Amino acid sequence: MISLYRTGTLLAVLALVALPGASSAQHEMHGMTMGGGWRMVPMDMSMPMLPGIDGAVPVVGPFMPGMGMDPAMLPEARPSEVVQLADMDTLDISVSMVRRTISGQEMIMFGYNGQYPGPLIQVPKDATIMVRVTNEIQMPTTIHWHGVRIDNRFDGVPGVTQDPIERGESFTYEVNVPDAGMYWYHPHVREDVQQDLGLFGNLLVTSPDPDYYGPAHREEVFVLDDILMDEQGALPWGDESPTHALMGRFGNVMMVNGETDYRLHAKRGEVVRFYLTNVANSRTFNVTFGGAKVKVVASDVSRFEREQWVGSVVIAPAERYVVDVRFDRPGEILIANTVQAINHFRGEFYPQVDTLSIVTVSDEAAEPDVSAAFDTLREHDDVVADIEAFRPHFGRNPDHELVTTVKVQGLHQSIVLSMEADTLYVPPMEWNDAMPMMNWLSTAEEVTWILEDVATGAQNGDIDWEFKVGDVVKIRVHNTPDSFHPMNHPIHVHGQRFLVLSIDGVENQNLVWKDTAIVPVGSTMDMLVEMSNPGEWMIHCHIAEHLHAGMMFGFTVTPPAP
Amino acid sequence: MIPFLALFAALGASVLSEAEAGTILPYSSAAACTDGPAYYAFELVSTKNIPGTGLATGTVEASVTAASPFSVHLSADGSYAYELHVTLDRMRVPGEGQLVAWVTTPDIDQIVRMSALDEHLQATGQVDWNKYIVVITLEPSDDPGQEIWTGPIVMRGMSRSGMMHTMVGHGALQQENCAAFGYGN
Ligand SMILES: [Cu+2]
Repeated sequence: MISLYRTGTLLAVLALVALPGASSAQHEMHGMTMGGGWRMVPMDMSMPMLPGIDGAVPVVGPFMPGMGMDPAMLPEARPSEVVQLADMDTLDISVSMVRRTISGQEMIMFGYNGQYPGPLIQVPKDATIMVRVTNEIQMPTTIHWHGVRIDNRFDGVPGVTQDPIERGESFTYEVNVPDAGMYWYHPHVREDVQQDLGLFGNLLVTSPDPDYYGPAHREEVFVLDDILMDEQGALPWGDESPTHALMGRFGNVMMVNGETDYRLHAKRGEVVRFYLTNVANSRTFNVTFGGAKVKVVASDVSRFEREQWVGSVVIAPAERYVVDVRFDRPGEILIANTVQAINHFRGEFYPQVDTLSIVTVSDEAAEPDVSAAFDTLREHDDVVADIEAFRPHFGRNPDHELVTTVKVQGLHQSIVLSMEADTLYVPPMEWNDAMPMMNWLSTAEEVTWILEDVATGAQNGDIDWEFKVGDVVKIRVHNTPDSFHPMNHPIHVHGQRFLVLSIDGVENQNLVWKDTAIVPVGSTMDMLVEMSNPGEWMIHCHIAEHLHAGMMFGFTVTPPAP
Repeated sequence: MIPFLALFAALGASVLSEAEAGTILPYSSAAACTDGPAYYAFELVSTKNIPGTGLATGTVEASVTAASPFSVHLSADGSYAYELHVTLDRMRVPGEGQLVAWVTTPDIDQIVRMSALDEHLQATGQVDWNKYIVVITLEPSDDPGQEIWTGPIVMRGMSRSGMMHTMVGHGALQQENCAAFGYGN
């Protein structure tokens, strides 16, 4: 069996890709320039600085794309375009530098085919498409087809399924799509940088069943993201390894489809189907729809067993949700990220509402009237029947147990003391970066995030699980609160689909096939994974900085004997 | 919302000295309920105001993961929607009156009646406040319509979130006068 993980190749390729351009960074800096070309991370200035870290900068160097280049030389990025493909069609995707303007700041970012997000690829279920990717940026890259039960050779994991695509080189992915739903594609090399700079796009797999979803007047794709900026543009990223290794890089500017003021118009009574994807490095969004009626219909790899009314949509990095929303009231409806943030300095919660999009609802009635259908919660019999076959496994003891934890070495003493003093309460979820300076200063050089196999004690790349196609595997993940800094983790399984059977022993009454699920602090999640797809796959945290701080391992699924 | 003055009166309610001793329930080794991660569970502490409750122990389990298609259950403003499960132990149930579980804010400006304690000394309820206090009182009867407690407090405990550390005016790393942050002194 090929097992590149054990040699550490995976870690070496994924985490240690050094980014060029760091040394010239200081020439571009002014104003709040600090040592080595870093700029001070934006923070609430009413929070006093921790003693001893005034003027400190991360131990890695700063990276900015296209450093020293004039953005005017680059093409202006365009909004995402829809590309409809049929079976065996080919799409060319170039990965290149683009000029973007966000919050009035012009900057150099990355784009797929010069678009933000990348092209929305629409394909019928069971089709296979060829995607020829050419790398024109100054770092190696790959494309991972997130959630797709793809042929393992095209999973996009450097050092495991392919060599990274170097600058000037190409790689052709054969993407087979066995499950209807909304997927997305992104690099699997330094996601903390490449994804944050705009390398993401959606892949919509359409069902042949015209009744797959209930009636809606129209469909909207919402790619949710954030970016960390100051008055000079995006804050530099870490060159040798990521900054923000403790909590992940939270942005302070929210975006829908790469725009900060994404607006929609709707008619009264209009039912809009939203396909939500969270491409942020670390932020989990709680999406509210201004009091409009919302029902959740589907998630990552399938529809729910039954539709369900919800007050908001909690969507962790890499997750997708499909929701139908009816706009009943004329006027302006704010789609917002609505959370209770934490001010660690004051030891308090405070409400934080960031508008993601404004929907202007006119008084004109939407035609046709689909209210009756919308008000009816549909049961998806085929989903129920599909899951039924797995029920005999639900009550089993776990086959594997994982515990999450974190290790730090060499972190600034002030940060260690202050973090340790502040451990009487850790929230189930971190909705905001409550410690911007400490978080920024913590890099993957000092922080190691860990998935540990409880049975063997093996950690991250040393975990070596083997399965056969057809195995149904129960995995229990416990997010221990007993660590230096407990935090929620969105756990992603490559190449397979899984059910979240229970959290903290409470059975999930409305199942849905997933590829990513968030485990809050202190919680224990039981997942049932169907090992249907042979190959060398990964399980990892989808907070980009946690992934690159080690939180990943591989497993093998062997094909049935011929 | 309940008027603040009324609450003050409620908190100051006199101890029911007439409460007679009832049966002692056996000490159970583990709570029957396992809702919620152990981390967010917290203890209730006896006021020792009621005969037979001086040695009583209590636990509140707080789950944020139940009853949601997502991994965490939130209310409209993004607060955690906690499912609370109260279990009391080692207590002599008063012969008269009814033990009732309540939940209130740290400022005690809002009160929600959870439920009366059942024969297993358990109660359940929901709350979506960031920080909260669970209070067990001895009421004259089981009245689900009761908006505010009138009897004495038997036990109380602060949610785990109430233990969030503040550096303002208290922390080892304090550098500035806490008045600057809206605190009195
Ligand atoms: Cu993580």
